[in-house]
Amino acid sequence: MMRVGAVLLLLAGSAWASGAQDAALPNRPASLKFAAIGDNGTGEPPEYDIGRQMAAYHRQFPFELVIMLGDNLYGRQQQQDFVNKFEAPFRSLLEAGVSFYAALGNHDNPSQQRYPPFNMGGVRYYTYARRNVRFFVLDSDFLDPPQRAWIERALQQSTDDWKICYFHHPLYSDGRTHGSQVDLRVVLEPLFVAHGVNVVFSGHDHVYERLKPQKGITYFVSGAGGQLRKGDVKRSEMTAAAFDQDCSFMLVEVSSDDLFFQAVSRTGTTVDSGVIHRQGRP
Amino acid sequence: MNRALRFAADHGLAVPLGAAIAVIWANQGAESYFRVAHDLAFAVNDVGMAFFFAWLTQEVLEATMPGGALHTWRRATLPIVAAIGGTIGAIGTYEAFLLAGDERLLLAGWPIVCGIDGGLSYLLVQFLLGKGDARPFVVLMAIVSNGIGLVAVGLHQQFTHMQLAGPLLIASGLTVSVALRWFTIKTIWVHIVISGAMLWWGFWWSGLHPALALVPIVPSLPRSPRGLNFLTDSPHGPHGSPQHVEHVLRIPVQIILLLFALVNAGMLVHGVERGALAVTVGALFGRPVGTLLAVGLAVGLGLRLPHRIGWRELVVITFASTCSFTFGLFFATAVFPFGPVLTEAKVGALSTLAGALLATAVAVVLGTRVAPAVRKRSSSTRARIIV
Repeated sequence: MMRVGAVLLLLAGSAWASGAQDAALPNRPASLKFAAIGDNGTGEPPEYDIGRQMAAYHRQFPFELVIMLGDNLYGRQQQQDFVNKFEAPFRSLLEAGVSFYAALGNHDNPSQQRYPPFNMGGVRYYTYARRNVRFFVLDSDFLDPPQRAWIERALQQSTDDWKICYFHHPLYSDGRTHGSQVDLRVVLEPLFVAHGVNVVFSGHDHVYERLKPQKGITYFVSGAGGQLRKGDVKRSEMTAAAFDQDCSFMLVEVSSDDLFFQAVSRTGTTVDSGVIHRQGRP
Repeated sequence: MNRALRFAADHGLAVPLGAAIAVIWANQGAESYFRVAHDLAFAVNDVGMAFFFAWLTQEVLEATMPGGALHTWRRATLPIVAAIGGTIGAIGTYEAFLLAGDERLLLAGWPIVCGIDGGLSYLLVQFLLGKGDARPFVVLMAIVSNGIGLVAVGLHQQFTHMQLAGPLLIASGLTVSVALRWFTIKTIWVHIVISGAMLWWGFWWSGLHPALALVPIVPSLPRSPRGLNFLTDSPHGPHGSPQHVEHVLRIPVQIILLLFALVNAGMLVHGVERGALAVTVGALFGRPVGTLLAVGLAVGLGLRLPHRIGWRELVVITFASTCSFTFGLFFATAVFPFGPVLTEAKVGALSTLAGALLATAVAVVLGTRVAPAVRKRSSSTRARIIV
């Protein structure tokens, strides 16, 4: 269904002194630009570094929204924790008017769905659209029958060019700590394939990974937004690219039938980039 | 085939066998395992287990009859106190462990730690302490603790998909059940197919767990008089009667238990999450502490330990009751919907099997383990109960 052209760019040296390096994305005026972070909510220095690096990139690549792939806050989740573990690390982006759209992870208090800056509208799973892209946000903690019926219906009804799903637990992953969530896969993948989902983003494994297209769908794991499991990727035949040496986030641009992506490390180094071309659905 | 199933029933092998197949299958062919498990889950967990709980209810019912282990409150009080104390200890520890890490997503899973695998605990106590009052003690603990868990999961499901037809069907099913009894219909399957089916749909539409649907009609089912000791009935006694519920359901229940373990015990364990740890700590730490504190308090207030059970034996019984396994798995599937959180809870339920090792170690350290010769004699007594 889809052709993936991707180039792995491993750039040497630290970018601390110079700040963000150039975005490896076309940065077209009418395109949809967004960022992706997962497993960020630690409130520890690496999360603040990621926040700073994202803000630096935002100055040259003005993404309008951030998709959050779950584990948005670890540990205590009182009012002050939302400040320390989310608002402070991403203050620059919030002040610049960037919207965050969160999925729930296994460490998230379900009450996060009522936290206005996460834009969840008080529900565990939801959908929204920007330009020619529709996002489907799932709660992979509990894939109950109502949610399964909802996602099937929502995917069926969508006529958008791009269908992007995101949720916390990866259907495919080479992370040693968690790996592929095969039980979820046997339920969700047939729906994704049947209804033309193009790309899936997940977190949970604290690394970056891009999988080779599986049944026509490209899967990303971006779960190192606040903490890292160094050396956790066990490369397999599924691995297209992986980075497990530092925390990271993703930048994405959807322009017409192309989705450009760039994975960026905490130091601003581009660790993976490429383009996914959308094929017309039958 | 029938002989194999009877052997499995006599030795409590259905669940371990199903679990072993599930674990191997899930790790050798994960995708095919999870596809099959997912397709069978509803039929096994919500329909098939109804027969298991009917069979179990029959066991408990007979234990309350004259000569049964629950017949007099005096005999049953201390195990009941121990079970309640252990359950409170397990739930309290489970909740405290999660709250310490602020993992509120899993708090609703407390019924999981109510589970005691009665069959496993029974065999373990028999192995470690031999024939004696320790076995009914641990079985009664399991009945009470699992009963608390069943009430919890029954109520947990309330209002999820409630329809007015539900209570009406339950009432109709009970009426039909009483009528069948009145007309002395002796074929148990007639009771199950007609009134059982009505109750199952009634439970389903009332938002109650449908696996408990046959429980209310068990007292109306045809039965033969039972012997005095529910742990040592002769295999050729009244229970061999084709009109007795236990005889009729015995083999089907073994098949269901095998399928239950097959469907629910398979998982890919990459890392141990906090949910799994909470279940494990609740069962292996909270339950023994709660049990011993409750029994200590009860003895302090004047209750007496059963004949031939001292404090050392009680400690061994306590640790033998920490294996939640079958019931832990069932409660997990009842309180959490399909997904990774359920898997965490299942990993916890499986890991409570470590309680068997703990109990053995404690028995060795305390010097309560019976000599092999004694054990050989006691194991010749056939036990039928699996709670």
